[in-house]
Amino acid sequence: MNPIFRLVNRNLTISLNMGFVIWQVIFPVIYIFVAGFAYTALIHNVPFGSKSLNYPAFIASGMIGFNIMNSTLISGIIIWNDRRHGMFEQILVGPFTRAQYILSNVYTIGIIGLVSAGLITAIGYPIFFTSVQFSILTIPLVVFASMTGAILFGSIASIISTRLKSSEGFNVVINTVFLFFAFVSTAFYPAQGAPPILATAFYLNPLTYLVDVVRAGIFGNFTGTVGYEMVVLTVLAVVFFVIATKLLSKLEL
Amino acid sequence: MLCIEAKSIFRSYGNVTAVDGIDLSVESGKIFGFLGPNGAGKTTTMKLLTTLIPPSSGSITILGIDASRHPLDVRKKIGVVLQQPSYEPTLTVEKSLEKYGMMWDVDAKTRRKRVEELLTAFDLQDIRKKKNDDISIGQRRRVQVAREFMHDMDLLFLDEPTAGLDPSARRGLLDYIKGKVRDGLTIFFTTHILEEAEYLCDEIAIINRGKIIAVDTPDELKNKFGREKTIKIRIGKVEQDLSSILQEVGDYDILHDEGTVITIHSADSEQVLVKILQVLQSNNITIEDLSVVPTSLEEIFLTVVKNSNESNISSGK
Repeated sequence: MNPIFRLVNRNLTISLNMGFVIWQVIFPVIYIFVAGFAYTALIHNVPFGSKSLNYPAFIASGMIGFNIMNSTLISGIIIWNDRRHGMFEQILVGPFTRAQYILSNVYTIGIIGLVSAGLITAIGYPIFFTSVQFSILTIPLVVFASMTGAILFGSIASIISTRLKSSEGFNVVINTVFLFFAFVSTAFYPAQGAPPILATAFYLNPLTYLVDVVRAGIFGNFTGTVGYEMVVLTVLAVVFFVIATKLLSKLEL
Repeated sequence: MLCIEAKSIFRSYGNVTAVDGIDLSVESGKIFGFLGPNGAGKTTTMKLLTTLIPPSSGSITILGIDASRHPLDVRKKIGVVLQQPSYEPTLTVEKSLEKYGMMWDVDAKTRRKRVEELLTAFDLQDIRKKKNDDISIGQRRRVQVAREFMHDMDLLFLDEPTAGLDPSARRGLLDYIKGKVRDGLTIFFTTHILEEAEYLCDEIAIINRGKIIAVDTPDELKNKFGREKTIKIRIGKVEQDLSSILQEVGDYDILHDEGTVITIHSADSEQVLVKILQVLQSNNITIEDLSVVPTSLEEIFLTVVKNSNESNISSGK
């Protein structure tokens, strides 16, 4: 078997425990079915392009992006645990190169990102199926968002894991950064109608672009703005991936 | 055939020279011990030989492969048990072994067979279903060493493999290693426990301040550096003053306990012993017990390192 696939196999085995699966399923379900319906009394409809979505459909589609981002935390956790428990060095004195180690992490987060997106799409489908407008672009857009989002957020988590030494520091920083990404974005609420500073902040956050691309795929609203967001997402993913790779390559043994 | 051949290897970190031009030759099928005080350069040498870090200069050939040019080819043929613990906290003991075998591309059938063998050989059957996070440090160390035998290799690097093990687990591990060497494996072994090196190693190198200061078989090291022996003579109670009786002999210690013990430390211990026996006989002093304490590798190690440090100080290094 190819060395990268062997490492991916190992990454998936050590990451996919019951706690992680519950985290990946329960949280979005609560957001979709509890928060989504509870807030319906306050938020009746959300404008989205030429459409008007009900709030549960809006948040269910937002949860796809949110879950892709959350799942990529695993990349940082794998690197962090490997460094903390000596497996990083152990792997590198084995039949693997650093490049293979890095690529195996990319493949792992890509797989987890795609599975997460599929999972939440399946869970959320009953909620947003009345507004769904499938087209030839639906699957490519969702897959594109899953892959670039996984690489982007996986790289951010990897960068954090290479820079911090204490487990307390790692937990505080990663939770703070991902909390910001989650709530200062259009995953939970639309930018329209938000105070201008907050609306601007939404668009300084790559999760907003990720969620917008997913929604464009699901609700058939591909516009020039979405195209621009895809370019930004791609550039950010490439830049952060290069930084993460450089930092991992220079990590001292 | 040489398994390891290192020529004039240097490794510096900034202004600090961790490895200072060492040469090493290790023959196939041998256990090579690598000893040295803390900070002497053992771990850096190990990292150089296992291709984790490149040398600043010098050449390293492992199993006939140029380690600087083809590090991955070297790593495919060696096994390494690092000094620091390494484990997957969420995996059970048996899953750890199985996954490690998978990482080394060992086929599933062989993996299953080896897992069972190693669980038994390393006394891990009782904890096979426990997660690595839930077992003791010593048990984790046993898993770490056992795991390395999941894959085939020609050369195994062991960096203090018995750290944290109880005496019986330690002896079990050393005997297991000896068995593997009989099957053709070559071992490069570092330890702080000198009895282990004496028990296990065919050849020993002592490193201090980044330089190899002695290389030989344990017996030859003793011959070279351990001429001073210790002989203990227990005698019955005496009325006379022993010090004045033995004044002419010199080079001895007297320790008083229930009886009287004369301890001889001398590079010429045989001659001193003959003289003492003559004096005791002429004074009608009975000998209750006599024993020769062989020079331990620990004493050799301390002597060699001390000499090296003194020579560095006198040469102003």
